[in-house]
Amino acid sequence: MSGPVPVPDEVSAPFWEAAADGRLVLARCSRCETFVHPPEPVCPHCHHTDPRFAFEPAPTTGVVRSWTVIRQSFLPGFNVPFTLLDVALDGLDDLRLIGRLAPEGREPPEHIGEPVHVVFEVPAGGGPAVPSFVLSEP
Amino acid sequence: MTGFAARSKVAVVGCAQSPIVKHHDRPLGALAVDVAREAIADAGLTVADVDGFTTSALLPTAGDHPVVDGVSTVSANWLAANLGADPSYVTGFQGYGQLPGAVALAVNALMSGAADHVLVHRALHNPAGRYHGSAQQQARGAAQWTMPQGYFGPIAMIGLPTNEYFQRYGATREDLGAVVVEARKNGARLPWSHWHGSPLDLDEYLAAPLLADPICRFDCDRPVDGVAAFVLTTAERARDLPNRPVYVTAYAGAQPSRHRLPLHWPLDDIAEVGAATARQLWERSGLGADDVDLPQVYDGFSPFVWFWLEALGYCPVGEAHRFVSGGGIDSDVLGALPALSGGGALGSGRMHGVPQMLECYLQLAGRAGDRQREGARVGIACQASPHFGGAVMYSSEVM
Repeated sequence: MSGPVPVPDEVSAPFWEAAADGRLVLARCSRCETFVHPPEPVCPHCHHTDPRFAFEPAPTTGVVRSWTVIRQSFLPGFNVPFTLLDVALDGLDDLRLIGRLAPEGREPPEHIGEPVHVVFEVPAGGGPAVPSFVLSEP
Repeated sequence: MTGFAARSKVAVVGCAQSPIVKHHDRPLGALAVDVAREAIADAGLTVADVDGFTTSALLPTAGDHPVVDGVSTVSANWLAANLGADPSYVTGFQGYGQLPGAVALAVNALMSGAADHVLVHRALHNPAGRYHGSAQQQARGAAQWTMPQGYFGPIAMIGLPTNEYFQRYGATREDLGAVVVEARKNGARLPWSHWHGSPLDLDEYLAAPLLADPICRFDCDRPVDGVAAFVLTTAERARDLPNRPVYVTAYAGAQPSRHRLPLHWPLDDIAEVGAATARQLWERSGLGADDVDLPQVYDGFSPFVWFWLEALGYCPVGEAHRFVSGGGIDSDVLGALPALSGGGALGSGRMHGVPQMLECYLQLAGRAGDRQREGARVGIACQASPHFGGAVMYSSEVM
Protein backbone atom coordinates (compact mmCIF):
# COMPACT_ATOMS: atom_id res chain seq x y z
CA MET A 1 0.00 0.00 0.00
CA SER A 2 1.36 3.43 -0.89
CA GLY A 3 1.53 6.38 1.48
CA PRO A 4 -0.80 9.36 1.63
CA VAL A 5 -0.41 11.82 -1.25
CA PRO A 6 -1.12 15.53 -0.84
CA VAL A 7 -4.41 16.67 -2.34
CA PRO A 8 -4.01 20.27 -3.50
CA ASP A 9 -6.94 22.58 -2.86
CA GLU A 10 -7.95 26.01 -4.11
CA VAL A 11 -5.47 27.75 -1.83
CA SER A 12 -2.56 25.30 -1.88
CA ALA A 13 -2.46 24.46 -5.61
CA PRO A 14 0.37 26.95 -6.42
CA PHE A 15 2.54 25.41 -3.69
CA TRP A 16 2.24 21.92 -5.19
CA GLU A 17 2.66 23.16 -8.77
CA ALA A 18 5.92 24.86 -7.82
CA ALA A 19 7.02 21.79 -5.82
CA ALA A 20 6.62 19.67 -8.96
CA ASP A 21 9.16 22.03 -10.61
CA GLY A 22 11.49 21.79 -7.60
CA ARG A 23 10.75 25.30 -6.38
CA LEU A 24 9.81 26.28 -2.81
CA VAL A 25 7.10 28.91 -2.69
CA LEU A 26 5.22 29.89 0.45
CA ALA A 27 2.04 31.82 1.11
CA ARG A 28 2.59 35.52 1.76
CA CYS A 29 -0.20 37.71 3.09
CA SER A 30 -0.82 40.50 0.59
CA ARG A 31 -1.89 42.80 3.45
CA CYS A 32 1.01 42.54 5.93
CA GLU A 33 3.51 40.78 3.60
CA THR A 34 4.28 38.12 6.22
CA PHE A 35 5.07 34.59 5.08
CA VAL A 36 2.56 32.21 6.62
CA HIS A 37 2.69 28.43 6.65
CA PRO A 38 0.27 26.84 6.31
CA PRO A 39 -2.10 29.48 4.88
CA GLU A 40 -5.38 29.95 6.75
CA PRO A 41 -8.68 31.70 5.96
CA VAL A 42 -7.53 34.63 8.14
CA CYS A 43 -3.93 35.85 8.22
CA PRO A 44 -2.52 34.59 11.56
CA HIS A 45 -0.17 37.60 11.68
CA CYS A 46 -2.32 40.66 10.86
CA HIS A 47 -5.70 38.89 11.21
CA HIS A 48 -6.97 40.30 7.92
CA THR A 49 -10.02 38.31 6.80
CA ASP A 50 -9.14 38.62 3.12
CA PRO A 51 -5.38 37.97 3.13
CA ARG A 52 -5.18 37.16 -0.62
CA PHE A 53 -2.17 34.95 -0.12
CA ALA A 54 0.33 34.99 -2.96
CA PHE A 55 2.82 32.14 -3.22
CA GLU A 56 6.27 33.64 -3.51
CA PRO A 57 9.79 32.19 -3.57
CA ALA A 58 10.93 31.42 -0.03
CA PRO A 59 14.43 30.94 1.39
CA THR A 60 15.68 27.45 0.65
CA THR A 61 18.23 27.34 3.44
CA GLY A 62 17.62 27.05 7.15
CA VAL A 63 18.72 25.45 10.39
CA VAL A 64 17.64 22.32 12.24
CA ARG A 65 15.60 23.14 15.35
CA SER A 66 14.89 19.53 16.22
CA TRP A 67 14.58 16.08 14.68
CA THR A 68 13.13 12.69 15.41
CA VAL A 69 13.89 9.31 13.88
CA ILE A 70 10.64 7.52 13.06
CA ARG A 71 11.18 3.82 13.72
CA GLN A 72 7.58 2.66 13.63
CA SER A 73 5.29 4.27 11.07
CA PHE A 74 1.59 4.49 11.76
CA LEU A 75 0.95 5.14 8.07
CA PRO A 76 1.37 2.72 5.16
CA GLY A 77 4.02 3.25 2.50
CA PHE A 78 6.94 4.42 4.62
CA ASN A 79 10.21 2.54 4.99
CA VAL A 80 11.52 2.89 8.54
CA PRO A 81 13.64 4.28 9.96
CA PHE A 82 13.51 7.76 8.51
CA THR A 83 14.36 11.11 10.03
CA LEU A 84 12.02 14.09 10.25
CA LEU A 85 13.47 17.57 10.73
CA ASP A 86 11.91 20.66 12.29
CA VAL A 87 13.50 23.47 10.28
CA ALA A 88 13.50 27.25 10.70
CA LEU A 89 14.09 28.86 7.29
CA ASP A 90 16.72 31.58 7.17
CA GLY A 91 15.21 35.01 7.67
CA LEU A 92 11.80 33.60 8.62
CA ASP A 93 12.37 32.97 12.31
CA ASP A 94 8.82 32.28 13.25
CA LEU A 95 8.04 29.94 10.38
CA ARG A 96 8.79 26.26 10.55
CA LEU A 97 8.72 23.44 8.04
CA ILE A 98 8.75 19.74 8.86
CA GLY A 99 10.30 17.47 6.28
CA ARG A 100 12.27 14.30 5.78
CA LEU A 101 16.03 14.19 5.88
CA ALA A 102 17.36 13.25 2.44
CA PRO A 103 18.74 11.06 1.08
CA GLU A 104 17.06 8.06 2.70
CA GLY A 105 19.41 6.30 5.08
CA ARG A 106 21.39 9.43 5.93
CA GLU A 107 22.41 9.58 9.63
CA PRO A 108 20.43 12.16 11.63
CA PRO A 109 22.07 15.49 12.52
CA GLU A 110 24.38 15.61 15.53
CA HIS A 111 23.31 19.00 16.86
CA ILE A 112 20.49 21.47 16.61
CA GLY A 113 21.49 24.52 14.60
CA GLU A 114 23.03 22.50 11.75
CA PRO A 115 22.43 24.17 8.36
CA VAL A 116 20.17 22.49 5.81
CA HIS A 117 18.79 23.24 2.37
CA VAL A 118 15.57 22.27 0.67
CA VAL A 119 15.32 19.56 -1.97
CA PHE A 120 12.23 18.02 -3.49
CA GLU A 121 11.56 14.29 -3.36
CA VAL A 122 8.80 12.17 -4.79
CA PRO A 123 7.63 10.03 -1.84
CA ALA A 124 8.11 6.26 -2.04
CA GLY A 125 4.39 5.85 -2.65
CA GLY A 126 4.43 8.26 -5.61
CA GLY A 127 2.41 11.42 -5.96
CA PRO A 128 3.58 15.03 -6.03
CA ALA A 129 7.08 16.00 -4.92
CA VAL A 130 7.34 17.20 -1.32
CA PRO A 131 10.01 19.40 0.27
CA SER A 132 12.73 17.52 2.14
CA PHE A 133 16.04 18.67 3.57
CA VAL A 134 19.69 17.87 3.00
CA LEU A 135 22.34 18.66 5.61
CA SER A 136 24.56 21.38 4.09
CA GLU A 137 28.30 20.76 3.96
CA PRO A 138 30.05 23.11 6.40
CA MET B 1 -11.10 41.16 33.36
CA THR B 2 -12.67 41.28 36.80
CA GLY B 3 -11.71 38.89 39.58
CA PHE B 4 -12.36 35.16 39.51
CA ALA B 5 -15.68 34.85 41.37
CA ALA B 6 -15.79 31.06 41.63
CA ARG B 7 -12.89 30.58 44.05
CA SER B 8 -13.91 27.99 46.68
CA LYS B 9 -17.58 28.35 45.72
CA VAL B 10 -17.88 24.88 44.16
CA ALA B 11 -16.85 21.53 45.61
CA VAL B 12 -16.33 17.95 44.52
CA VAL B 13 -18.55 15.82 46.75
CA GLY B 14 -18.22 12.29 45.43
CA CYS B 15 -16.67 10.07 42.80
CA ALA B 16 -16.46 6.60 41.33
CA GLN B 17 -14.20 4.88 38.85
CA SER B 18 -14.29 1.60 36.99
CA PRO B 19 -11.30 -0.70 36.91
CA ILE B 20 -8.86 0.45 34.20
CA VAL B 21 -8.28 -2.48 31.84
CA LYS B 22 -7.06 -3.16 28.31
CA HIS B 23 -10.57 -4.07 27.11
CA HIS B 24 -13.71 -4.23 29.23
CA ASP B 25 -16.10 -7.05 28.45
CA ARG B 26 -19.05 -4.62 28.51
CA PRO B 27 -19.93 -1.68 26.26
CA LEU B 28 -18.40 1.61 27.39
CA GLY B 29 -21.81 3.25 27.75
CA ALA B 30 -23.12 0.54 30.10
CA LEU B 31 -19.99 0.92 32.20
CA ALA B 32 -20.43 4.71 32.24
CA VAL B 33 -24.01 4.48 33.50
CA ASP B 34 -22.96 2.15 36.32
CA VAL B 35 -20.04 4.38 37.30
CA ALA B 36 -22.25 7.49 37.18
CA ARG B 37 -24.83 5.83 39.49
CA GLU B 38 -22.06 4.82 41.86
CA ALA B 39 -20.61 8.36 41.94
CA ILE B 40 -24.05 9.90 42.58
CA ALA B 41 -24.67 7.44 45.44
CA ASP B 42 -21.18 8.14 46.79
CA ALA B 43 -22.13 11.81 46.99
CA GLY B 44 -25.24 10.95 48.98
CA LEU B 45 -27.54 11.92 46.12
CA THR B 46 -29.99 10.28 43.73
CA VAL B 47 -30.17 10.56 39.94
CA ALA B 48 -33.15 12.89 40.38
CA ASP B 49 -30.89 15.37 42.23
CA VAL B 50 -28.38 15.57 39.38
CA ASP B 51 -29.44 18.20 36.88
CA GLY B 52 -26.13 19.01 35.16
CA PHE B 53 -23.88 16.84 32.99
CA THR B 54 -20.55 17.83 31.47
CA THR B 55 -17.76 15.91 29.81
CA SER B 56 -15.42 15.89 26.88
CA ALA B 57 -16.17 12.94 24.63
CA LEU B 58 -12.95 12.93 22.60
CA LEU B 59 -11.62 9.55 21.49
CA PRO B 60 -7.92 10.41 21.61
CA THR B 61 -6.54 8.45 18.70
CA ALA B 62 -5.13 9.34 15.30
CA GLY B 63 -6.29 5.96 13.95
CA ASP B 64 -9.22 5.29 11.64
CA HIS B 65 -11.66 4.25 14.38
CA PRO B 66 -15.35 5.10 14.15
CA VAL B 67 -16.71 7.38 16.86
CA VAL B 68 -19.96 5.91 18.16
CA ASP B 69 -21.69 7.49 21.13
CA GLY B 70 -22.20 4.93 23.90
CA VAL B 71 -19.67 2.55 22.34
CA SER B 72 -16.35 4.30 21.65
CA THR B 73 -17.19 7.57 23.41
CA VAL B 74 -19.85 8.68 25.88
CA SER B 75 -21.20 12.20 25.53
CA ALA B 76 -22.86 14.06 28.39
CA ASN B 77 -26.12 13.92 26.48
CA TRP B 78 -25.92 10.15 26.00
CA LEU B 79 -25.12 9.59 29.65
CA ALA B 80 -27.91 11.85 30.93
CA ALA B 81 -30.46 10.16 28.66
CA ASN B 82 -29.37 6.64 29.56
CA LEU B 83 -29.29 7.40 33.29
CA GLY B 84 -32.91 8.49 33.04
CA ALA B 85 -32.03 11.93 34.38
CA ASP B 86 -34.09 15.06 33.87
CA PRO B 87 -31.30 17.60 33.47
CA SER B 88 -31.38 21.37 33.01
CA TYR B 89 -27.78 21.70 31.73
CA VAL B 90 -25.97 19.23 29.46
CA THR B 91 -22.85 20.13 27.51
CA GLY B 92 -19.46 18.99 26.30
CA PHE B 93 -16.04 20.63 26.27
CA GLN B 94 -14.51 20.76 22.82
CA GLY B 95 -10.95 21.86 23.50
CA TYR B 96 -7.91 20.07 24.86
CA GLY B 97 -7.28 19.61 28.55
CA GLN B 98 -10.56 17.76 28.41
CA LEU B 99 -11.14 17.07 32.08
CA PRO B 100 -10.15 20.54 33.39
CA GLY B 101 -12.38 21.93 30.62
CA ALA B 102 -15.33 19.80 31.68
CA VAL B 103 -14.79 20.76 35.34
CA ALA B 104 -14.72 24.44 34.33
CA LEU B 105 -18.06 24.04 32.54
CA ALA B 106 -19.49 22.39 35.67
CA VAL B 107 -18.20 25.20 37.89
CA ASN B 108 -19.71 27.81 35.60
CA ALA B 109 -23.07 26.03 35.53
CA LEU B 110 -23.17 25.84 39.32
CA MET B 111 -22.10 29.45 39.75
CA SER B 112 -24.75 30.67 37.32
CA GLY B 113 -27.47 28.54 38.88
CA ALA B 114 -28.00 26.66 35.62
CA ALA B 115 -27.62 23.46 37.66
CA ASP B 116 -27.49 22.45 41.33
CA HIS B 117 -25.55 19.17 41.09
CA VAL B 118 -23.32 18.40 38.12
CA LEU B 119 -21.90 15.04 37.11
CA VAL B 120 -18.54 15.34 35.33
CA HIS B 121 -17.48 12.13 33.67
CA ARG B 122 -14.78 10.86 31.34
CA ALA B 123 -15.10 7.60 29.43
CA LEU B 124 -12.05 6.31 27.56
CA HIS B 125 -12.07 3.50 25.06
CA ASN B 126 -9.38 1.33 23.54
CA PRO B 127 -10.68 0.23 20.14
CA ALA B 128 -9.71 -3.14 18.70
CA GLY B 129 -6.78 -3.04 16.23
CA ARG B 130 -3.85 -0.64 16.01
CA TYR B 131 -4.66 2.41 18.12
CA HIS B 132 -2.95 5.06 15.97
CA GLY B 133 -2.61 3.12 12.70
CA SER B 134 -4.16 4.76 9.66
CA ALA B 135 -4.61 3.57 6.09
CA GLN B 136 -5.30 7.05 4.72
CA GLN B 137 -4.18 7.40 1.10
CA GLN B 138 -4.89 11.09 0.69
CA ALA B 139 -3.72 14.01 2.75
CA ARG B 140 -6.27 16.79 2.56
CA GLY B 141 -6.60 20.12 4.33
CA ALA B 142 -4.03 20.79 7.04
CA ALA B 143 -2.70 17.22 6.76
CA GLN B 144 -1.38 17.89 3.22
CA TRP B 145 1.54 19.84 4.72
CA THR B 146 2.88 17.09 7.00
CA MET B 147 1.38 13.68 6.33
CA PRO B 148 3.02 13.02 2.93
CA GLN B 149 6.38 13.41 4.73
CA GLY B 150 5.33 10.79 7.30
CA TYR B 151 4.77 13.30 10.11
CA PHE B 152 1.65 11.84 11.63
CA GLY B 153 0.16 11.06 15.01
CA PRO B 154 1.01 12.01 18.56
CA ILE B 155 4.18 9.96 18.94
CA ALA B 156 5.99 11.83 16.16
CA MET B 157 4.47 15.01 17.59
CA ILE B 158 6.05 14.48 21.01
CA GLY B 159 9.32 13.16 19.56
CA LEU B 160 10.28 16.57 18.13
CA PRO B 161 10.03 18.75 21.27
CA THR B 162 11.45 15.96 23.43
CA ASN B 163 14.57 15.70 21.30
CA GLU B 164 14.74 19.50 21.22
CA TYR B 165 14.78 19.38 25.04
CA PHE B 166 17.44 16.62 25.02
CA GLN B 167 19.67 18.56 22.65
CA ARG B 168 19.29 21.91 24.33
CA TYR B 169 19.50 20.91 27.96
CA GLY B 170 21.50 17.68 27.90
CA ALA B 171 18.70 15.37 29.03
CA THR B 172 19.07 11.64 28.42
CA ARG B 173 16.90 8.55 28.14
CA GLU B 174 17.87 7.75 31.73
CA ASP B 175 16.27 11.06 32.76
CA LEU B 176 13.09 10.29 30.85
CA GLY B 177 13.11 6.81 32.33
CA ALA B 178 13.17 8.30 35.83
CA VAL B 179 9.77 9.88 35.12
CA VAL B 180 8.30 6.59 33.95
CA VAL B 181 9.75 4.57 36.83
CA GLU B 182 8.21 7.00 39.34
CA ALA B 183 4.79 6.88 37.66
CA ARG B 184 4.80 3.08 37.45
CA LYS B 185 5.95 2.75 41.07
CA ASN B 186 2.93 4.75 42.21
CA GLY B 187 0.53 3.16 39.73
CA ALA B 188 1.57 -0.32 40.81
CA ARG B 189 0.11 0.44 44.25
CA LEU B 190 -3.36 1.33 42.93
CA PRO B 191 -5.83 -1.57 42.87
CA TRP B 192 -7.80 0.01 39.98
CA SER B 193 -4.76 0.61 37.76
CA HIS B 194 -3.98 -1.27 34.58
CA TRP B 195 -0.42 -1.47 35.97
CA HIS B 196 -1.42 -2.66 39.46
CA GLY B 197 1.41 -4.79 40.79
CA SER B 198 3.58 -3.97 37.75
CA PRO B 199 6.30 -1.47 38.53
CA LEU B 200 8.96 -0.85 35.88
CA ASP B 201 12.68 -0.58 36.51
CA LEU B 202 15.11 1.59 34.60
CA ASP B 203 16.79 -1.36 32.86
CA GLU B 204 13.45 -2.52 31.44
CA TYR B 205 12.77 1.03 30.31
CA LEU B 206 16.14 1.40 28.60
CA ALA B 207 15.78 -1.98 26.86
CA ALA B 208 12.57 -0.91 25.08
CA PRO B 209 12.98 -0.12 21.36
CA LEU B 210 12.40 3.47 20.29
CA LEU B 211 9.30 4.46 18.33
CA ALA B 212 10.19 8.08 17.48
CA ASP B 213 13.52 9.10 19.01
CA PRO B 214 13.83 9.53 21.96
CA ILE B 215 10.33 8.19 22.74
CA CYS B 216 9.76 4.49 23.48
CA ARG B 217 6.49 2.77 24.27
CA PHE B 218 6.93 3.19 28.03
CA ASP B 219 6.92 6.97 27.53
CA CYS B 220 3.36 6.70 26.21
CA ASP B 221 0.36 5.94 28.40
CA ARG B 222 -1.37 2.72 27.50
CA PRO B 223 -4.77 2.91 25.77
CA VAL B 224 -7.45 1.42 28.02
CA ASP B 225 -11.14 1.12 28.68
CA GLY B 226 -12.18 3.01 31.78
CA VAL B 227 -14.72 5.46 33.16
CA ALA B 228 -14.59 7.92 36.03
CA ALA B 229 -17.27 10.25 37.33
CA PHE B 230 -17.21 13.08 39.84
CA VAL B 231 -20.13 14.98 41.39
CA LEU B 232 -19.80 18.73 41.91
CA THR B 233 -22.12 21.10 43.70
CA THR B 234 -22.02 24.48 45.36
CA ALA B 235 -19.94 24.82 48.54
CA GLU B 236 -23.15 25.69 50.35
CA ARG B 237 -24.96 22.50 49.35
CA ALA B 238 -21.80 20.47 49.93
CA ARG B 239 -22.06 21.14 53.67
CA ASP B 240 -25.11 18.89 53.94
CA LEU B 241 -23.57 15.96 52.06
CA PRO B 242 -21.73 13.00 53.61
CA ASN B 243 -18.20 13.41 52.22
CA ARG B 244 -15.75 16.14 53.17
CA PRO B 245 -15.95 18.68 50.33
CA VAL B 246 -12.93 19.33 48.13
CA TYR B 247 -13.17 22.89 46.85
CA VAL B 248 -12.34 24.06 43.36
CA THR B 249 -9.99 26.94 44.05
CA ALA B 250 -9.41 27.95 40.43
CA TYR B 251 -9.16 26.62 36.92
CA ALA B 252 -6.97 27.64 34.00
CA GLY B 253 -6.86 26.80 30.31
CA ALA B 254 -4.18 27.39 27.72
CA GLN B 255 -4.71 30.31 25.38
CA PRO B 256 -4.10 30.12 21.62
CA SER B 257 -0.51 29.40 20.71
CA ARG B 258 1.50 30.46 17.66
CA HIS B 259 0.34 29.44 14.22
CA ARG B 260 2.04 26.16 13.40
CA LEU B 261 1.82 23.11 11.21
CA PRO B 262 -0.59 20.46 12.50
CA LEU B 263 0.76 18.71 15.62
CA HIS B 264 3.88 20.85 15.65
CA TRP B 265 4.81 21.87 19.20
CA PRO B 266 8.18 23.63 19.29
CA LEU B 267 9.68 23.65 22.76
CA ASP B 268 9.58 27.45 23.05
CA ASP B 269 5.82 27.49 22.35
CA ILE B 270 5.28 24.94 25.12
CA ALA B 271 7.34 26.95 27.62
CA GLU B 272 6.00 30.38 26.72
CA VAL B 273 2.28 29.60 26.51
CA GLY B 274 2.56 27.05 29.32
CA ALA B 275 3.91 29.70 31.67
CA ALA B 276 0.87 31.84 30.84
CA THR B 277 -1.45 28.93 31.72
CA ALA B 278 0.24 28.67 35.12
CA ARG B 279 0.05 32.45 35.65
CA GLN B 280 -3.69 32.30 35.07
CA LEU B 281 -3.99 29.60 37.73
CA TRP B 282 -1.98 31.62 40.28
CA GLU B 283 -3.92 34.82 39.53
CA ARG B 284 -7.32 33.19 39.86
CA SER B 285 -6.43 31.23 42.99
CA GLY B 286 -4.40 33.89 44.76
CA LEU B 287 -1.91 31.14 45.59
CA GLY B 288 1.55 30.26 44.31
CA ALA B 289 3.58 27.15 43.56
CA ASP B 290 4.86 26.94 47.15
CA ASP B 291 1.31 26.69 48.50
CA VAL B 292 0.64 23.48 46.59
CA ASP B 293 1.21 20.14 48.31
CA LEU B 294 0.13 17.89 45.44
CA PRO B 295 0.84 19.27 41.97
CA GLN B 296 -0.39 16.30 39.93
CA VAL B 297 1.30 16.99 36.61
CA TYR B 298 0.11 15.40 33.40
CA ASP B 299 2.06 12.52 31.94
CA GLY B 300 0.23 11.11 28.93
CA PHE B 301 3.72 11.30 27.44
CA SER B 302 6.57 11.29 29.95
CA PRO B 303 8.19 14.61 28.84
CA PHE B 304 4.98 16.44 29.76
CA VAL B 305 6.08 15.98 33.38
CA TRP B 306 9.16 18.13 32.72
CA PHE B 307 7.13 20.69 30.79
CA TRP B 308 4.56 21.08 33.59
CA LEU B 309 7.14 21.20 36.39
CA GLU B 310 8.83 24.05 34.53
CA ALA B 311 5.60 25.84 33.56
CA LEU B 312 4.37 25.74 37.16
CA GLY B 313 7.72 27.10 38.33
CA TYR B 314 9.01 24.12 40.32
CA CYS B 315 12.21 24.19 38.26
CA PRO B 316 13.85 26.72 35.98
CA VAL B 317 13.33 25.98 32.28
CA GLY B 318 15.74 23.25 31.22
CA GLU B 319 16.24 21.86 34.74
CA ALA B 320 13.28 19.52 35.27
CA HIS B 321 15.11 16.42 33.99
CA ARG B 322 17.80 16.89 36.64
CA PHE B 323 15.17 17.61 39.29
CA VAL B 324 13.30 14.36 38.56
CA SER B 325 16.43 12.23 38.21
CA GLY B 326 17.66 13.62 41.52
CA GLY B 327 14.58 12.30 43.32
CA GLY B 328 12.72 15.62 43.26
CA ILE B 329 9.29 14.03 42.67
CA ASP B 330 9.83 10.80 44.64
CA SER B 331 6.50 10.23 46.40
CA ASP B 332 8.24 8.22 49.13
CA VAL B 333 10.68 10.94 50.15
CA LEU B 334 9.56 13.41 52.77
CA GLY B 335 10.04 16.92 51.47
CA ALA B 336 10.05 15.91 47.80
CA LEU B 337 7.26 17.08 45.49
CA PRO B 338 4.78 14.19 45.06
CA ALA B 339 3.94 15.18 41.47
CA LEU B 340 2.94 11.70 40.30
CA SER B 341 1.67 10.26 43.60
CA GLY B 342 -1.61 9.30 41.92
CA GLY B 343 0.21 7.15 39.37
CA GLY B 344 -0.61 9.51 36.53
CA ALA B 345 -1.52 8.20 33.12
CA LEU B 346 1.76 6.31 32.72
CA GLY B 347 1.06 4.40 35.93
CA SER B 348 -2.71 4.00 35.52
CA GLY B 349 -3.59 3.90 31.82
CA ARG B 350 -4.78 6.46 29.25
CA MET B 351 -7.47 8.06 31.44
CA HIS B 352 -6.79 11.60 30.18
CA GLY B 353 -6.46 13.62 33.37
CA VAL B 354 -8.55 11.36 35.59
CA PRO B 355 -5.64 10.02 37.70
CA GLN B 356 -4.55 13.59 38.45
CA MET B 357 -8.05 14.73 39.47
CA LEU B 358 -8.76 11.53 41.39
CA GLU B 359 -5.56 11.86 43.42
CA CYS B 360 -6.39 15.47 44.31
CA TYR B 361 -9.91 14.48 45.32
CA LEU B 362 -9.02 11.36 47.35
CA GLN B 363 -6.12 12.99 49.20
CA LEU B 364 -7.86 16.28 49.94
CA ALA B 365 -11.10 14.56 51.01
CA GLY B 366 -9.11 12.32 53.36
CA ARG B 367 -10.25 9.26 51.42
CA ALA B 368 -6.92 7.91 50.15
CA GLY B 369 -6.82 5.00 52.62
CA ASP B 370 -3.36 3.67 53.36
CA ARG B 371 -1.94 6.08 50.75
CA GLN B 372 -3.30 9.08 52.67
CA ARG B 373 -0.76 11.91 52.81
CA GLU B 374 -1.18 13.75 56.09
CA GLY B 375 -1.46 17.49 55.89
CA ALA B 376 -2.18 17.67 52.15
CA ARG B 377 -4.26 20.80 51.67
CA VAL B 378 -3.88 22.04 48.09
CA GLY B 379 -3.54 20.08 44.85
CA ILE B 380 -3.42 20.79 41.14
CA ALA B 381 -4.73 18.41 38.47
CA CYS B 382 -3.11 19.08 35.10
CA GLN B 383 -3.97 17.73 31.69
CA ALA B 384 -2.37 17.70 28.23
CA SER B 385 0.58 19.95 27.42
CA PRO B 386 0.83 23.17 29.47
CA HIS B 387 0.49 25.21 26.26
CA PHE B 388 -2.44 23.24 24.98
CA GLY B 389 -4.42 21.92 27.95
CA GLY B 390 -5.48 23.07 31.36
CA ALA B 391 -5.34 22.63 35.10
CA VAL B 392 -7.65 22.83 38.09
CA MET B 393 -6.59 23.70 41.62
CA TYR B 394 -8.37 21.94 44.48
CA SER B 395 -8.25 22.55 48.22
CA SER B 396 -9.51 20.87 51.37
CA GLU B 397 -10.28 24.33 52.73
CA VAL B 398 -12.11 27.46 51.62
CA MET B 399 -9.24 29.66 50.41
